[in-house]
Amino acid sequence: MLSSPISYRIVEGALVLARKSFPWQAIYQMGQFALNQTGRAYTGKVPLVWTSAFFPVEIAWSLQLCPFSPEVAAAFITGIGFGQEALSMGEEAGYSRDLCSFHRCIAGAARAGHLPRPRALLASTHLCDGAPLLFQNMAEIYNAPCFTLDVPYAADRDAEVYVAGQLERLWHDLAEATGRRPDRVALGETLRHSNGFRENMIRANELRCRVPSPISGNDMLAFIYLFFIGQGSREAAEISACLAKEIEEKIAGGRWGGVEKFRLLWLHLKPYYSNEVMSFIEQAGGVLAFEEFNHIYWPPLDPDEPFLSLARKVLAHFDYKPVEERIRVIRELAEKYRVDGIIHFSHHGCRQSTGGSLILKEALQEAGWPVLLLDGDCLDGRNEAAGGMLTRLQAFFEILEERKEGCLI
Amino acid sequence: MITAGIDIGSLSTDAVLLRDGEVLAYSIVNTGAQARAAAERAFEEVLEKAGISASEVDSVVATGYGRMSVPFAHSQVTEISCHGCGSAFLDPGVRTVIDIGGQDSKVIRLDRQGNVSDFLMNDKCAAGTGRFLEVMADRLELSVAGLGEEDLKAERAAEISSMCTVFAESEVISLIARGVPRPEIIRGLHRSIAERTAGMVNRLGLTPRVMMTGGVAKNPGVVRALSEKLGTEIIVPPEPQIVGALGAALIARKKRSGKGV
Repeated sequence: MLSSPISYRIVEGALVLARKSFPWQAIYQMGQFALNQTGRAYTGKVPLVWTSAFFPVEIAWSLQLCPFSPEVAAAFITGIGFGQEALSMGEEAGYSRDLCSFHRCIAGAARAGHLPRPRALLASTHLCDGAPLLFQNMAEIYNAPCFTLDVPYAADRDAEVYVAGQLERLWHDLAEATGRRPDRVALGETLRHSNGFRENMIRANELRCRVPSPISGNDMLAFIYLFFIGQGSREAAEISACLAKEIEEKIAGGRWGGVEKFRLLWLHLKPYYSNEVMSFIEQAGGVLAFEEFNHIYWPPLDPDEPFLSLARKVLAHFDYKPVEERIRVIRELAEKYRVDGIIHFSHHGCRQSTGGSLILKEALQEAGWPVLLLDGDCLDGRNEAAGGMLTRLQAFFEILEERKEGCLI
Repeated sequence: MITAGIDIGSLSTDAVLLRDGEVLAYSIVNTGAQARAAAERAFEEVLEKAGISASEVDSVVATGYGRMSVPFAHSQVTEISCHGCGSAFLDPGVRTVIDIGGQDSKVIRLDRQGNVSDFLMNDKCAAGTGRFLEVMADRLELSVAGLGEEDLKAERAAEISSMCTVFAESEVISLIARGVPRPEIIRGLHRSIAERTAGMVNRLGLTPRVMMTGGVAKNPGVVRALSEKLGTEIIVPPEPQIVGALGAALIARKKRSGKGV
């Protein structure tokens, strides 16, 4: 079912019928885009490339390839209830339970034949050091070439030149491996789409400073799909434009807002298996005012210097730097979105995110924000005591309430 | 004003009745398989002890893992806030609360006003909890209550390196087979719990004064091992098991009157 393009066409059709029930047409459009992309991935008509979460996907779009994010697919598989089966198969394949569940799930789903066969795999070494190794393993299984972008930790001029050189070579090699013609004009056009997405998301993010929040953070977490897959596509630019316009209209119409008991900043991702975390937050009067993953941190791309500007974008990520940089960015976001508290979802197995979380928590607490490190797993619910997670959240809200109201209500 | 706090834990359910901030009575019953029934039993028992009827109680707050299963509660508050509130009431100078319950352990930091400012909670495994001690007591053919007394007879502690309940039980079996005296094994187990708990305390940041609550605080062996490990005195209230319920009753009063505790 998962690997049949027809399934996605059927759901796409069903989505059209449900169009009006979507609170945001941008989400509807993104759903259509995601289904169309996934369906295309399984038809095999367009050369398919797997891209790791932080790889500059513009490279794939510029060669008219079909990018596919196995990490997003793992979240989707988990969301529709096949996660445990895939995780178990990944573990049977030799992936330890101490590894990131996204990677275990991908390995298992690949083994089960749920994932589309790639013509090439594109991985980046920054932010997630498990992904390039997983991709190398997958490349052997699928007998496809794996291109790894080596991103140095220091973001200086030498690093920019080094990464840009790799990207240019990779672009040519990928074109050859997939039978595409490298076209600088198409590359420039892709970068313009990417800039469009960037500008629209900045516009949407600025609008989200309004109190009360004009859009739910849980809805906004869905847009991570565009960050992982869409950047450089015409569709992502259009969908983000639609999003910004809809938020503007909602504010202009004066028909937004509700009671906001606590404004929250959400760090990292969320659990995708069946759980009550987001509904619990909502019921308790919590609002995700902003999410770390929706922050636009990179400068605009220059179509005249495509590889150098893509290199700058890759190197600009605030999480791929000493933890002080993440602290600086999170503090800025907390101030900008006037949050009452910060929740860091500490995904088990993610060293990049959880490694510095204690330092981050201490620094943010010193600056005056209550911080909850919510230990959990995005995909693997087998080790989670649901009650314990909700108790932590409730206790955190009780702290916020005490600070705000002076008593527990 | 009469208020009640009901703390439904995994092993015991505790109830406290307060009249204008003074404890009227308390009860402790086994939770068993039905949290709701345990809450009703604990409430009935505490009402009987105080000689009052349920209709005289102005407000009830439920806490603990079974807090949602108390139909007669007016609101539910986490055990983290309740243990914090109860501890601050018993000793306003307390800044760190260690609550080791039946199935989880918590470290709570209090600010100068006695409000919870931060906390850590371990509920991922039984290591360092009351359940850990239950398993070991069973293996050593003792009651849980007898562990503390037996610890006092030890001249030294046996080395127990595992924190995991299953692995530690295997180690205990090996120590029994080697003829290591039972008190030494028990002291080793208490040190294992102390090691685990001290890690949580230090992660949150140790700020004296420290109070220990929850059923495990009744075990002097654990308290001593933890005190030694942390290098600080640990205050244990006369009945540490009811601190959560006491906090719940205090919060019930606060909610009802809109005043501070």
